[in-house]
Amino acid sequence: MSVTPDRAADGANRRQFFLAGVVALGVSVTGFVASTLRFLVPNVLYEPPGRFTIGNPADFPPGSVTFLEDRRLFVFNTAEGFYGVSSVCTHLGCNVKRGGPGFQCPCHGSQFDDSGRVARGPAPTPLAWYALSLSARGELVVDVDRTVGPDFRLRV
Amino acid sequence: MTETIVRRTAGWLTAIGRSVARIGWPRTDKDRAAVMISSLFLHIHPARVSRHALRPRATLGLGLVSAVLFGVLTVTGLALMLYYVPYPNEAYRSMKDLQFVVTFGVVLRNMHRWSAHAMVAVVFLHLCRVFWTGSYKAPREFNWIVGVSLLLLTLALSFTGYLLPWDQLAYWAITVGSSIAAYTPLVGREVKFLLLGGHVIGPMTLLRFYVFHCVVLPGLVVMLVSLHIWRVRKDGLSGPTVTVAPVEETGGVFPPSTKTYGLMALTRRPSASVAARDPHDEVFAWPHLLYRELLVTLAVVVALHIVSLLFNAPLEEMADPTRTPNPAKAPWYFLGLQELVHYSAFVGGVLVPTAIVAALIALPYLDRNPHGAGVWFASERRLANTIFTAIVAVAIVLTVVGTLFRGANWAWVWPW
Repeated sequence: MSVTPDRAADGANRRQFFLAGVVALGVSVTGFVASTLRFLVPNVLYEPPGRFTIGNPADFPPGSVTFLEDRRLFVFNTAEGFYGVSSVCTHLGCNVKRGGPGFQCPCHGSQFDDSGRVARGPAPTPLAWYALSLSARGELVVDVDRTVGPDFRLRV
Repeated sequence: MTETIVRRTAGWLTAIGRSVARIGWPRTDKDRAAVMISSLFLHIHPARVSRHALRPRATLGLGLVSAVLFGVLTVTGLALMLYYVPYPNEAYRSMKDLQFVVTFGVVLRNMHRWSAHAMVAVVFLHLCRVFWTGSYKAPREFNWIVGVSLLLLTLALSFTGYLLPWDQLAYWAITVGSSIAAYTPLVGREVKFLLLGGHVIGPMTLLRFYVFHCVVLPGLVVMLVSLHIWRVRKDGLSGPTVTVAPVEETGGVFPPSTKTYGLMALTRRPSASVAARDPHDEVFAWPHLLYRELLVTLAVVVALHIVSLLFNAPLEEMADPTRTPNPAKAPWYFLGLQELVHYSAFVGGVLVPTAIVAALIALPYLDRNPHGAGVWFASERRLANTIFTAIVAVAIVLTVVGTLFRGANWAWVWPW
């Protein structure tokens, strides 16, 4: 039995062998790139939880607006009940400040009215309203992963 | 006996020296040309350059100045890495150490920051120069694209760089920058997550930008700059073909070259750019080009030292996620963008920059006008120059507005 130099015993010729090599190289490079991208996505995040307590309702006097700066959250206590408005500008994430009527953003000039609706500027959506609830011990709980509409009130 | 030892030692040393440098200190034009050809670092120069390329106004030396600034940034950056800790708050403290504790730390940091500012300006001016002299035309189309990539890398290096001190500027720049990335269609949120290494800005974010700034981006710049300069070397500088009298060199009248650089067995004809050269217009690169380059390098380094000794690089208060400065302004080169983003995050932050980059990349293939290469503001390309100049003017106006005419809450203020 004789095998010609460019034909192996199973009949694959040089061209097919080369093609198989190119395909194998492509597959391994694609796999490498994909696994590198996946590597960049962390599996464990050491981040503060989205649900946290902010204290007793009695800590917030009636008719007051409290800014919890480390939570980036305005807590309103009105006659109809409690609600929480995020201070994170929906435009590009700066902290809005209360000033005049509503809220003002220092970075790109967005302005919001008292309930967080866009009054002027580039912000695309109103400020986020977070769901408030009471814990078993009667403390106010904020859940930043649950947003609610501007008619939300928590009666205590 | 002693004489023999001295002679033999001298012989060895000469042999070792020659094995390293190949050619001793060159004393003739021929030797100097040989050095340019046989040395790795000088090989990016041709042995001879056209006289027109030596005129300061041909290039304004902007490419060279950018390269020198990148060199200064590499050296000072490596030094700063020895004191910098890429972890929130520690990063800021290491900035304070550099300012007040480390001997010459403040000067090195100043040089790094001012070189970065200068590099953004010079790279941008280099792009303008290449446009206004039509130097992106064939065969330099692709090198223009390499250059555009280098401009983007310069901006990315600047951005990641001023994030690292973890002061207020850094923190809010990351906030705004990653939020702009989130406006990208389809992949925006994933890109933001990858940039931050999570949902919120934290140690992972700083570490990622640190690796980008110190390893990934400089590595890409080194590769692309090498390609950029290599192609300039191969294509020669753009310019009008002129015929002049033979140049008197120290070694005598330079004879017209009859040599072609074609690869005889492989190609039919020599490369066009080599064939088009007029040998009468050329002088030796050493000393004519090399000494000018050394002079420009010296001037840049001296200027950087003077500025760094007189002016301290800015450092704001430590990053405070609860307090946004009012107004929170980016460095000057991003204020035009910030002014645009003030109208719309998607249009100003994604659409316009993407459109500008796409237009710059497509430019050498869209502009089919073959005239005006190597001439400042050539009358044959009045339309192209007018459009480009108008866009540059708009960018400058936006930057000036963002810098001087914007106050608290990004409201309009008069600077006087």
